Amino acid sequence: MSALFRKMEDRPWLFLAPAVIVYAVFALWPMVDVTIVSFQKWNGLDANRQFVGLANYQYIFLQDPVFWTAFINTVIWTFLSLIFPPAIGLALAIGLNREIAGRSALRAVFYLPVIIAPIAVATMWRWMYDPFFGLFAQTLTEWGLPVPDFLGQKDTALYYVFVAYVWQQVGFSMVLFLAGLQSVDRSLVEAAQIDGAGRWKIFRHVTVPAIMPTITIVLVLSLIHSLKAFDIVYGLTGGGPAQSTQMLALWAFSQSMKAFDFGRGGAVSVVLLVITVAIVIPYLRWSMSREVHE
Amino acid sequence: MMRSKFLCGAALLGAATICATAGVQAQEINFWTINFSNQAANKALESIAQEFEAKHPGVDVVFTQRAVDEHKTALRVAAGSDTGPDIYFSWAGLGLGGEYVQAGMSVPLDDYYKKYNWKDELLPTAAAFADDFAEGMHGVPFTFKGEALYYNKTLFEKAGITKEPETYEELLAAAGALKEQGIPAITFGGTVNWHVMRLMDVILETKCGAQTHDDLMAMKASWSTTPCAADAFAELKTWSDNYFLKPFMGISQQQSFSLFVAGRAAMMLEGNWLVQQLSEASDLNNYGLFPFPTGTKRLYGFAEYNYVSSKSKNPDLAAEFLDYFISTDVQQRYLGTMATSSINSKVKYENQRPLEVEWNEIFGAYDQMFVNGDQAFPGNVTTEYFRVINEVASDNMEPKAAADALQSFIDNL
Repeated sequence: MSALFRKMEDRPWLFLAPAVIVYAVFALWPMVDVTIVSFQKWNGLDANRQFVGLANYQYIFLQDPVFWTAFINTVIWTFLSLIFPPAIGLALAIGLNREIAGRSALRAVFYLPVIIAPIAVATMWRWMYDPFFGLFAQTLTEWGLPVPDFLGQKDTALYYVFVAYVWQQVGFSMVLFLAGLQSVDRSLVEAAQIDGAGRWKIFRHVTVPAIMPTITIVLVLSLIHSLKAFDIVYGLTGGGPAQSTQMLALWAFSQSMKAFDFGRGGAVSVVLLVITVAIVIPYLRWSMSREVHE
Repeated sequence: MMRSKFLCGAALLGAATICATAGVQAQEINFWTINFSNQAANKALESIAQEFEAKHPGVDVVFTQRAVDEHKTALRVAAGSDTGPDIYFSWAGLGLGGEYVQAGMSVPLDDYYKKYNWKDELLPTAAAFADDFAEGMHGVPFTFKGEALYYNKTLFEKAGITKEPETYEELLAAAGALKEQGIPAITFGGTVNWHVMRLMDVILETKCGAQTHDDLMAMKASWSTTPCAADAFAELKTWSDNYFLKPFMGISQQQSFSLFVAGRAAMMLEGNWLVQQLSEASDLNNYGLFPFPTGTKRLYGFAEYNYVSSKSKNPDLAAEFLDYFISTDVQQRYLGTMATSSINSKVKYENQRPLEVEWNEIFGAYDQMFVNGDQAFPGNVTTEYFRVINEVASDNMEPKAAADALQSFIDNL
């Protein structure tokens, strides 16, 4: 047996092979295949896939009436995702890092939405947003205020969907910040207090530098999550009204699996893939260099 | 010796098992269909299959039911492989169902239509879709559905409307009378794009006439240079500006139905399947029904078909099952479970509710149909059709611009 292990030690690829095969089949090949499809015209039915060069890219960039809406929405969504869930998550983490009654229960309550399936969150919020019978409509009516068509107005629907997303995501940031706050050196805080620093100064000059690696991780993960935003938009608006809440991931899906235009759907997917890779690779390099330094 | 005997026995047993399995597989009918929201339809399918199995020992009818989008995807996957169902469900006509036929997924059924005399048993309007294809007859009707305007009698009375509108002008006058009384004339749910689309479909038929409407949907006529197309969008805008129950873009068809039942709007453009839903939610006597007065003598609706798949190893058996399914006896016994009306012309209707009687009268009065836009267009054009309709209905796009945008999309296909 030990001889067998000695032999395998000389052949590391034997240990790597299963993981590499699974990764190649389920992660790498789909990426390669979607790139190939993006250069083809195919409706999923024809036996032959016609090579069309860059025509699908030309179409989505220059003629697709929805692509740029989806692109801009993804940018807006990503931008907001870098501000609101981390900021609220940090505020909650700071609050729940103190010795207060029911701290554990409150942490669980704020984290709970993270473990709910996004599609279930969407269903729940869709009912709350119902302009006739929903919770918000009833409340606004009782207060004598006008009830907006939360998910039906082109200019604002995306932001109402985003509110539901924040509700779900905030617990994720909170947990990471809570972990980061544990690493803040108490002696530094106490030293700052002895020196007469107030709460804000301690936060600004002691806490923030100490949790800077956590802030970076939260921001990068929020960025990646936001680029993948799909389920909650699909469940709440399906990309409507009039495609005004479309996102790149949802538009790629809609083109491929609803309109059955796999070439154009593939082209949208490749654009999203390039954007994601452009963000993820620097992050990976940064996190790996940190591991080396540590 | 013992060992060799055991091996021989095991081999024989294995061979017998393989043969038996092969025998069963040869008599299996794989039926791919959608998961119907009407549970009575799902149960009826199972019961009919069990009856067929009892009459044909050794035959096993295996249903695979999926959600609509998953069903379409599964058919596309099957189209590119060597295996697939024996029978599959799809919509009738050249649009949604036609794509699969043109891709070679369906077996021409001309011989079976002759052998079983299906044309003698089927409603001509329901069976007509099988003739849509140049290369032969495809599919057998499963259900036949019409769509018309349901109205709340109390609200009509309140607005002083004494008779059902028979022309488009009378319908507009009725909508105006309702508006004067502060009653929204009609309700739609905008989140499901196909609901508002129904109004655009019937307005197109009204404004363009049958032939031009068909040409527009077949993408043979230009949406930007055919004036009635922009006129139809303009008319849609008139309806959404003046007569819709608002807000409508942020609610679904189901929420819209709840509002209709609650008396918040006077009309709803729905199919004959609504009768059962209405009877469960309200008093049927409070509702009336009339076809949208397009003036073209064509009924708005669609048919659902079952097709014999080109992947079937036993198309004869599949056709025999479909023959059993559409037979007068089966259709009579399961009447009302899959639709209010049967696709079989010999079925007798007794003890029907008034709205069901009205539907039968409507079906009897028409011998031609025009289908829903999302069944006439290919999927990608449908997506754009939905978008421009929603843009116009929510006042974000001018009617002419909508017609131009749709044509531009079609030109770039």
